[in-house]
Amino acid sequence: MKAGWNEKLGGYVKIAVVGPGGNQFLNDCMEKRLPVWDIRRVSESSFTCSLPLSRVKEARAILKGTKTKIRFIEKKGTPFLVKKLWKRNGIIIGLTSFLAILLLLSNMVWNINVTGANAKTEYELRKAAAAIGVKKGKLIFFLPDARQLQKKLTDQMDNVTWIGVTQKGTAYHFQVVEKELPYKPPVHGPQHLVAAKDAVIHDLFVEKGQPLIRVNDSVKKGSLLVSGYIGKDKHAKLVSAKGKVMGEVWYQSQVEIPLSTTFSTYTGKKTDHHFISFGKLPVPVWGFSKDDYKHSTKSRDEKNVRFLKWEIPVSYVKEQVRETDGVKREYSAEEAEKVARHMASQDLLKKLPEGAEILEEKVWRKSLSDGKVKLTMLYLVIENIASVQPIPIQQGE
Amino acid sequence: MSKWRQQVSKWMMQKMDLPADVVMDLPRITMIGQLHIYIENHRGVLAFSNEELKLKLKQGVLVIEGEGFLIKTVMPEEILLEGKISGVRFSDQQVQERGKGASR
Repeated sequence: MKAGWNEKLGGYVKIAVVGPGGNQFLNDCMEKRLPVWDIRRVSESSFTCSLPLSRVKEARAILKGTKTKIRFIEKKGTPFLVKKLWKRNGIIIGLTSFLAILLLLSNMVWNINVTGANAKTEYELRKAAAAIGVKKGKLIFFLPDARQLQKKLTDQMDNVTWIGVTQKGTAYHFQVVEKELPYKPPVHGPQHLVAAKDAVIHDLFVEKGQPLIRVNDSVKKGSLLVSGYIGKDKHAKLVSAKGKVMGEVWYQSQVEIPLSTTFSTYTGKKTDHHFISFGKLPVPVWGFSKDDYKHSTKSRDEKNVRFLKWEIPVSYVKEQVRETDGVKREYSAEEAEKVARHMASQDLLKKLPEGAEILEEKVWRKSLSDGKVKLTMLYLVIENIASVQPIPIQQGE
Repeated sequence: MSKWRQQVSKWMMQKMDLPADVVMDLPRITMIGQLHIYIENHRGVLAFSNEELKLKLKQGVLVIEGEGFLIKTVMPEEILLEGKISGVRFSDQQVQERGKGASR
């Protein structure tokens, strides 16, 4: 039998059997089914043969009864190869650690560039980025991806319009568009005040100018409220009209609210699973606990591992399973109406300018169909309706 | 008794067309040219050298002669020998004491 892969895997030894009991040894081996092969006579009293490493002990036991001795000549197979390789473990350790370090360094932030920002904004941006974790030497796996970063930074920085975040290998590049805060010109020059909306005058307070309306007058959009012309005839003068004209304005809004709604909320319980995926095969490395939630949502975050400038098909995957709670909300028709009215007024207040208040609210139309309450609401709102209209100066009178 | 049994098995072999090596416990020898010889149903190695291999059989001894012998495999009742074989001979010599019959 030539040493097959099976023997090579387990390792085998070539031994020399010396002594007069050589044939006895062979026969005993046969009897005990100990595989021996490549038997060659060397001299009159000795021969060589090979046997598997795992059965050397048995062979020794057989030899005990005979007047022979064995000498090991060669050791072959994997166990010895491994041993031999282990002698050079320095190289192997060095090689693997080099690769590991290279891999680690390929996944670090090495450079952060900021363009389009002045020194102050750049400093602030770098600080904000560092707070999120984008710093030199940080591992890219643990950072949010470029899109999330962009959103976070744009939200955090209030003096920029937009921040573009691009990640190129180990470098992050921030492109900043700074906000140009509008310059508010001081009020100057002659001007009228005109109505911004159709309204009934509720109250007026004029600091400068000639009021042309009285309380309870009804005005149309664009009609003159306070004139910039004061004085009469020869004493006429142009001023910058200034004041507040509170008008009653009608608003109409529609709300729709379903009687029963199901919505899910997070209960706070969650399970994290971490994987390292090779190609498409995810190998779990952390988080083995089972999630037996009745309802849950799953989010998945995948980060590619890079090697130098290449992306290798290995990635780190974090999966989050959050338990959700299915809550069902039921309204009676009256409750629904109440909620709808509240919603509608809240909605309206959000749209109204500062200083406006709702004077009166009325349900104009109400219908219940398809499990939904539909309301059309009318609101009487008091708000400042004055808007500025400059008076063109006519040259050369 | 054993003689009678042998006769019975011989008769069975002839009349019932059964293979002789099975019925009569004889060695089956397969040779490939001069290169290999494969012996089944032997009873142990009596002597082994580079030029000669003596195998114990149930009856008698099988002597294989040649040069450059190398036993590739030994298993109970099976042996594969490699080398340049020049002769295979049955000898009726009495079975030698085991272990004594080393090479020439």
